[in-house]
Amino acid sequence: MFKIFFRKDFVFCLALGANANNAQEWSKYAENQMRGAHSHSEIEMTIKTPNWERTLEINSDVEGKKLALSTITSPAKEKGIRTLRIDNNMWNYFPKLKRKVAVSSSMLLASWMGSDFTNDDVLKASSMAEDYQHKFLPNQKKSGVDFRVIENIAKSNSKVMWPKIITYASKVDCLPREYQYYDKQDQLKRILYLDDIKTFDGHKVPTKWVMQPQNDKDKKTTIIYKKMTFKTDFKASYFSHKNLTDY
Amino acid sequence: MKLVFVLFILIQSLQCWAQSLVDGEISGNLEAQSRHSWNNQAAKDELMQDWDEEEFYLFYGNLNGKLNFKNSRFETNLFARHSQSDLYKDRYPSPPYLAPLLFSFPNKLVARDVFKLKHETGDDNSRTEYVLNKLYYEWDYDEHRFVAGRMYINYGLGEIFNPINPFNQPTGLTAISQIAQGNDGLNFTFYASEKHTIDYYFLGDKTLDGYENQIQKTLWIHGEYQFSNELQLDYVIGEDQNRLKLGGQFRYNFSEAMVFMQTLFQTDYTDDKESHPLFDVLLGYDQQLTNKWHIRAEAGYQKKNRFSGLTSINDRFLPTEYFIALANQYEIHPLLKLGGTIVNDIKTGFTYLIMRNTLDLGHNTEAEIFGYLPVAKGSGIENDAQKLVTTDIGVALRTFF
Repeated sequence: MFKIFFRKDFVFCLALGANANNAQEWSKYAENQMRGAHSHSEIEMTIKTPNWERTLEINSDVEGKKLALSTITSPAKEKGIRTLRIDNNMWNYFPKLKRKVAVSSSMLLASWMGSDFTNDDVLKASSMAEDYQHKFLPNQKKSGVDFRVIENIAKSNSKVMWPKIITYASKVDCLPREYQYYDKQDQLKRILYLDDIKTFDGHKVPTKWVMQPQNDKDKKTTIIYKKMTFKTDFKASYFSHKNLTDY
Repeated sequence: MKLVFVLFILIQSLQCWAQSLVDGEISGNLEAQSRHSWNNQAAKDELMQDWDEEEFYLFYGNLNGKLNFKNSRFETNLFARHSQSDLYKDRYPSPPYLAPLLFSFPNKLVARDVFKLKHETGDDNSRTEYVLNKLYYEWDYDEHRFVAGRMYINYGLGEIFNPINPFNQPTGLTAISQIAQGNDGLNFTFYASEKHTIDYYFLGDKTLDGYENQIQKTLWIHGEYQFSNELQLDYVIGEDQNRLKLGGQFRYNFSEAMVFMQTLFQTDYTDDKESHPLFDVLLGYDQQLTNKWHIRAEAGYQKKNRFSGLTSINDRFLPTEYFIALANQYEIHPLLKLGGTIVNDIKTGFTYLIMRNTLDLGHNTEAEIFGYLPVAKGSGIENDAQKLVTTDIGVALRTFF
């Protein structure tokens, strides 16, 4: 009986309940699971090319959709470099030089430490649920697995990097397994694969993220969430200039 | 006075040590550089800099120590630099060769000092110095922060020219990294609100008149105020090196780019020494064009101090009075970043090209190939600093720990 229930014909994302046929709700659900209201995570990022590999470790703190603070904890060269985001403003802090630098919001575009992720990705500057309009595309099967496919088109007033993103979401847990990012010319530029779902404080989170640029398939960047908590209660002053420079 | 100050720092540090020690950290970097330099013909002909080609070697490093306590920390940095060149030769009574001052810029590791905390040796072909250029105790209390000792004061958006901050040289035109200048004194930071931060500095300074003379004081306020999501204003006002100074920085953040402007006005010397007011302006533009290509444009005016000599390279060095500069950085590969900056004196036509290409070698090690090329001499040069600019090609190897 149990097996029958979980056969692909019967599988239906129970988490969304009555909202399961609303693409907006799918995006909102995934975002709530993966971001929560606030979170602290310890991340390992590995940038890999055929003959070279580099690993960075980062602590990332996020509060809502407007506040984020990331700190590089390894390697030695970058250790201590912090980035604070408040709305669309960003500051980098270099503790060895005691230098706080305001950076252009266009830096959200920039590759983060040579990886295939951007500042926008790491600082979670854009919100899939709020900055995009969503609609279902026909379901697709990949490697024998059925996915719900959602087309996310950027709202005209949202300041986001990617005008179109296609989400492949699992029908089992409603969480995304793949994001395809398209540029203004509707060219597929990169694919983010998500895997290894774990539960932290009641939130289901893919803990392995692999970003694959489409113009250089020999290169990829993998993020592993080593620790994550959604119970962190940040003080009101946590995402502040004082705290940014307190390192 | 000195003894009281040192004892104060020491006692505070020991008190903290006795408190709950949270963590400590030692970090730093080492770098070796080699450059081949060709002299500027104008320097040979007009400034008695009679050399043709020269090899210059530079080794330097930072050793940074940090002890974090519950609400405070103690930090220190030892900077050591050894440079080798035949241009250090003592030519008295002829003027010294000035090129090594450019090659090792900033050659002063402390901008405002009361204590030397420095050891320097040299002979006809080398210079070695050890400087404790950071040594401070800092503690936090609610919305305040207090710092005492030798500290870095680092603010302002200018990378090539940063007039609102006289306490740290911009290093955008140099082939060095991980370097900042120390300043002796006290700093009180008041986080007035989420949008408004005010820094008060009380610094001592013996660099202006020499160690035999009295301590000059610097009283300085730097504030930053975030008017809106897009607009931030910085203001500076104070007395520094016998001048009253007033200035500010305006920054506007568009979604695609950032623009900023700085001005600084400096009065005549407040004592009776011969001087004249100085005025500096900077306009800047910064944009990330693609995820791998970053550009920065800076244009400015630095009023030439007609009372300062060529050796004022020590103080504020920009080899142009009017300038426009465009800096590009392109990440061709995660391992390789190409950087190029072109600086043009719009009055004389003097143009200077700087290339810095960095290759990540892994294991916290990187190599850099750099070049400094005066590509156009300019006409009617009034600024002797332009005649001093040499043509250099070099390589650096640096490691971090």
